[in-house]
Amino acid sequence: MTQNFYHVLISLALVAVALGISWYEKIRVEKDIAIGTLRAFIQLVAIGYALEFIFDLNKLWLILLTILVMVMAGAHTAGSRTKTLVPGVRISAFSIGVGTFFTLGSMLILGIITIDPKYVIPLGGMIIGNSMNASALALERIDSEVKNKKAEIEQALALGATACQALSRSYKITVRASMIPTLNLMKVVGLVQLPGAMTGMILAGASPLSAVLIQIIVIYMLISAVTITAVITTRIAQRGYFTKAHQLVERMV
Amino acid sequence: MGEIKLKLERITKRRLIRQNEDMEEITVLKDISVEIKPKEVFAVVGPSGSGKSTLLRLLNRLEDLSDGSIFLDGQNIKDMDVIALRRKVALVFQVPILFDGTVERNILFSLKIREEPNLEGVAEKYINLVGLKRNLLSRNSNELSVGQKQRISIARALTSEPEVLLMDEPTSALDPTATHNIESLILDLKSKIGLTIVFVTHDIEQAKRVGERGMVLVNGEKIEEGEIPYLLENPQNSITQEFIKGILT
Ligand SMILES: Nc1ncnc2c1ncn2[C@@H]1O[C@H](COP(=O)(O)OP(=O)(O)OP(=O)(O)O)[C@@H](O)[C@H]1O
Ligand SMILES: [Mg+2]
Repeated sequence: MTQNFYHVLISLALVAVALGISWYEKIRVEKDIAIGTLRAFIQLVAIGYALEFIFDLNKLWLILLTILVMVMAGAHTAGSRTKTLVPGVRISAFSIGVGTFFTLGSMLILGIITIDPKYVIPLGGMIIGNSMNASALALERIDSEVKNKKAEIEQALALGATACQALSRSYKITVRASMIPTLNLMKVVGLVQLPGAMTGMILAGASPLSAVLIQIIVIYMLISAVTITAVITTRIAQRGYFTKAHQLVERMV
Repeated sequence: MGEIKLKLERITKRRLIRQNEDMEEITVLKDISVEIKPKEVFAVVGPSGSGKSTLLRLLNRLEDLSDGSIFLDGQNIKDMDVIALRRKVALVFQVPILFDGTVERNILFSLKIREEPNLEGVAEKYINLVGLKRNLLSRNSNELSVGQKQRISIARALTSEPEVLLMDEPTSALDPTATHNIESLILDLKSKIGLTIVFVTHDIEQAKRVGERGMVLVNGEKIEEGEIPYLLENPQNSITQEFIKGILT
């Protein structure tokens, strides 16, 4: 079957269910749900048209530009989520960018994909989506690590540890925590969840087996990008909490 | 320079604090000058909030001064490598904080991060020095009494062989017996390894028992300075007199 706008309209009923529950349980996310619903609609429709255009034109610069815009959008979401001491958006942009371009570049060089918007853009989207979550989690986690373990960190500093050494445990915890969603996905993939790419392909009529092959590649690609993003985000962000003299910055003391 | 270990020259520390919505600057230490001699036990006495902890934090650069200078053996600590400084000027906090893991891991912390190759017998030596039994070494650090933790944190501060030991109310979390033990330990360390010790307390009696010289700090200002017990028995300043009588605590 092919879906049309009428089907979309009907599926709003499910949003109404979520709104009702939120209201009844006083969770107070009605506004977020409403905005999210509208945003998802506008963004996806716009993207639909944009992609049609990009696929038709099939120019390298346009593909790169698209990926770049996606990275910036992801970075904005990841980095402005929490009020932290560090410039989250810039850190996310850099780390998501490195993770994305490295992973996509490797796939091109290894001949797994060709420079075709049909591959590069959806795969890039998945990479960026997952990296964005990893980056957001890392920013949030390192912030709470430093805040909650201030005393321990200062104790280590007082004993002559560098900022990096004083934070080494928190660093590992942060990177691990920000990779958990992706690691979990790897565990349950196919068992509990049929991931997006595969679902999409099957819905679009591809054979389950070829959908699976793509999905395996996607998973491998995601773990690489997420690891890179998590490590870079955490490494850069943690520096923001210390001065050059290995002191916690004044606002943290 | 030989007879001065630490020299504080007109130091001032200002801090930003949050007042409701706004940030406001407060002066935590005002224009303090004092000289501390090698191998002496110097007591910093003063009521709560007077800036005692802040003073110690400035001495090993967990924070930086706003104005003035601090010299260690004649060298401005701002010009020293901060890690090297912290190994020479060790700080023991008010509440002992041990890292997860064994007591041994804690004691060897500063050597391990420096990747010191020969650690044989070191943990035993230092746990001995603070008067604890060596069978504690393999114990988990969170299964100890506060008194034991405080001794271990002292042992841990000593492994980098500091020249100055800063102690921030090392007995405030302890019962009288443990307090007595730590006080004897301080005197012991002075005679055994010739450390210069700066210790903070709000307990006049303790300052008398342990200190050789000292200063009284009130509201971030040095009220007076001198030999103990003379300083604390014959206070010249009315604020010191009030503090000693227990009006200011
Ligand atoms: N993290 C901080 N941020 C801002 N101001 C602080 C901070 N810590 C302490 N202060 C302020 O600095 C002043 C001195 O505090 P400090 O902890 O040095 O006093 P203290 O003499 O050690 O007191 P106590 O005997 O209670 O330990 C106080 O007015 C305190 O409010
Ligand atoms: Mg204090």
